[in-house]
Amino acid sequence: MGELKDIATKAVDMVMRLGASECDVVAADSRYMSAEIEKGAMKQANSVADPGVAIRAFRNGCQGFSSCTGFSPSSIKEAARLAVELAKSGTPDPDFKGLPHKKRPTAVTGLHDPKISKLQPEQVVEMAIELADAASGHKDIYSVNASVAIAECSLVLANSNGFVGGQRLSSFETSIEAVAKSGPDMFSGIDGSWNRRLDRPVIESVGRNAMEHAVRGLKHQKIATGDYPVILDPLAAGFILATAIGGGANAESIQRKRSYLTGKLGQKIGSEALTITDDPTLEWANGSYSFDGEGTPAREKDIIKEGVLAAYLYDSYAAGKDSVESTGNASRGGSVWSFRKPPSISPSNLVVSPGDSTLDQMIADTKKGVYLRLTWDYPNLATGELSGLMMESYAIDKGELGGAIRQATIGIGTTDLLSRIEALGKESRDAFGVRTPAIKVSSARIGGSD
Amino acid sequence: MEDLAEMAIERMVKAGAVFADLRMESSAGTNIVVMDGKTRSLTSQRDSGCGLRAFIEGAWGFSTTNSLTAASVRDAALSAVKMAKAARAKSKVKFEIVPARAVRASEEYRCKEKLSEVSVEDKLKFVLERDKDMRATDKRISSTNARYDDIEIDRIVANSFGTLAKTKERWLVAACSAWAKSDGVIQRGHAAMGSVGGYELMRKDEAIRIGKDAADMAIRLLDSKPVPAGKFTCVMDNRMTGLLAHEAFGHACEADGVLAGASVLEGKVGQKVASDEISLVDDPTVEDTFGYFSIDWEGVKAKKHVLIDKGVLKGFLHNLETGSRMGMPSNGSSRSQAYNSPPIIRMSNTYIGGGKVKKAELIEDTRKGLLIQGGQYGYVEPSKGQFMFKCDEAYEIKNGEIGQRYRDASLSGLIMEVLHNVEAVGRDFVLTDPGYCGKGGQAARTTDGGPHIRVANMVIGGLT
Repeated sequence: MGELKDIATKAVDMVMRLGASECDVVAADSRYMSAEIEKGAMKQANSVADPGVAIRAFRNGCQGFSSCTGFSPSSIKEAARLAVELAKSGTPDPDFKGLPHKKRPTAVTGLHDPKISKLQPEQVVEMAIELADAASGHKDIYSVNASVAIAECSLVLANSNGFVGGQRLSSFETSIEAVAKSGPDMFSGIDGSWNRRLDRPVIESVGRNAMEHAVRGLKHQKIATGDYPVILDPLAAGFILATAIGGGANAESIQRKRSYLTGKLGQKIGSEALTITDDPTLEWANGSYSFDGEGTPAREKDIIKEGVLAAYLYDSYAAGKDSVESTGNASRGGSVWSFRKPPSISPSNLVVSPGDSTLDQMIADTKKGVYLRLTWDYPNLATGELSGLMMESYAIDKGELGGAIRQATIGIGTTDLLSRIEALGKESRDAFGVRTPAIKVSSARIGGSD
Repeated sequence: MEDLAEMAIERMVKAGAVFADLRMESSAGTNIVVMDGKTRSLTSQRDSGCGLRAFIEGAWGFSTTNSLTAASVRDAALSAVKMAKAARAKSKVKFEIVPARAVRASEEYRCKEKLSEVSVEDKLKFVLERDKDMRATDKRISSTNARYDDIEIDRIVANSFGTLAKTKERWLVAACSAWAKSDGVIQRGHAAMGSVGGYELMRKDEAIRIGKDAADMAIRLLDSKPVPAGKFTCVMDNRMTGLLAHEAFGHACEADGVLAGASVLEGKVGQKVASDEISLVDDPTVEDTFGYFSIDWEGVKAKKHVLIDKGVLKGFLHNLETGSRMGMPSNGSSRSQAYNSPPIIRMSNTYIGGGKVKKAELIEDTRKGLLIQGGQYGYVEPSKGQFMFKCDEAYEIKNGEIGQRYRDASLSGLIMEVLHNVEAVGRDFVLTDPGYCGKGGQAARTTDGGPHIRVANMVIGGLT
């Protein structure tokens, strides 16, 4: 950390000497290791080293940004020159009110797991094999493709207001696709995990989930177009809410009137059972940090409180425009920071407050409906309308889970989806940056091929 | 850089690699973002480094450095071999990389105005003008976003077969988004223009009009309704035909997915997979397109790939490994996002070939259906055989006449059925907008295209 601090603080001085009115610098040293399984067999092991420096300079409110790979003084000097030159080239922006002032970072535990530092390539390879093996224990499994990836990042952020902060971050991620085959028919089960600590027990459950869903999906059926109750698995709920709330509540999008949540602060946009917070202080969660990408201390905040839109997500630029404090949501990447792009507003860890139901109970309570396990679609943030493919979904008939539905779509407005929540599960999991339980929605429009 | 590359290959072979290759790059790029008439961000990117691969008996090791010193590159070379040995120790499937002809080639993407020789002030002026165009279109335009990206990359690809290919790659793209607001309704329109080449592209009418096009679309959508849900016969415009070619079929033709046991097209070469009128092609050699390249990221010369000819599946997209394992040479389909990602099989310019029917006839002959226009994004899981792609807008077709305007919606289909359901193929072939395809965490520049086509039994993700 000492070398990174030296690099960052010296670069801040250099940028200011070159004529910036304000600036910030991130010196980051990241490394990644991963192992990949193809069709059940070890295929590739990867090791990536990625040190670099990000420099952001302001002049008359205009932001100039440059980065360089490595820490050579000549590269940093050139990046500093470019950032300042760019800041001088743009139009003035009086909406920029300044970078965050010096504040003490929040004490957050569980950002870095020393066990990850000690992992050797052979151990990462072993874990990938373990993951694939966990998905291979059924006669219909034809292929398993999987990966285990670890990352570590040491970084120092310094700015011209005197903030200097360092943090070490780590991550441990698994992903798997198990393919089941029966005659000419195929289906796949997908699963994964995202964590800041080495979580070996999760390997078994992620592999087993993928296998079970691949096999279950071989039995399939069609569905007629209509309105159905829909139970969202945490995987589907996480993917949708990451954009619907994480993107929809972006204060800059609100200020520019680009979001369906514009003008809705303080208004009811969801069921009273729904509370969603943004919490960068969660122990071991992949989106946690002690300070954000501009040096603002991490803090938990309600986004939706008992169905009412309670707050937007701010960085320093958007906060200055609204004369409020930044919420500490300037992001420099996901679990590990990148030096290649300037920060932008993003949620840290969205947390959906759990309810008291279970997935099994929700299914048993559904006479005729749909269990949506996976979609890769998200709402149009201007309208809030979600129109997407149900990539993995199952029919529910008389409280029983039926076959996988092929070629079917879901259509619903986001505020309708949030308002029609009639049950929340009591067990949550982390998926795509959202800690969420299963969510039951009373009705959504399903487009079927029957 | 050539000496450094050859030293690294030699090191990997000496350390035990049976095959070794690398991509060594140095790049410089510009990114400009203007929002609502003001500069939001000006970025200058400088990146350099080397990604190395070592292969031993069916297992790969990959390592990178972003310091191009002899010591760093040597360490990364040894790390690649170490990773390969760690993988090989547990590898169950053994195979070889069949020696390919060494390629000693050099290419500089052609241009009239080098990107590095145009000032940032001139580029910013272009972006500010596009932003102004959007705001000048209509009072109901409530917010605007105009951006410009360019990059020049010097890349060396070297391998232990003796290949040493040098490429000076350059490409640029401009994109506009406009938001319109009226009576509490917000709608977004967008347009983009991009290609390999030089700054002369931004002086063309097609680039200059993207601001107006984006704003017109946002205004047009203000009086649109949500699409009804269900199964429809759809007339696809050129963009949607291109997205269909890419998502519905192109990905399933990538041989790495086939070998992974994750494509429904495994074992289907030579079989009928589409109606007779369908030819589907991926061709990186089409010049002045966003998906262009002439040497792939394994140093193999690129060529046109006919994936479907008159409805019959002819083959897959290959790299050195999949070609070796499936008994054929690589057809030059290997790409990596940058030096710090391993090369994988990617599409380039993917399209359905033109047919004989006039666009007007495709619509006139539709009793009940939808005209689908403009592509946003799509995705596919070839192991499930399902895909989706999202349009910008749609129009009701009733007895051959265009009616109600609808807004964006997803369309879904099944890989093994959709191309059999193509009823008619138009003759108005166009390669359309630039785009980025995501796979394995990597982005690749691509172009899609084709004529208008009519497809039965598409399922629409409507809200009503």
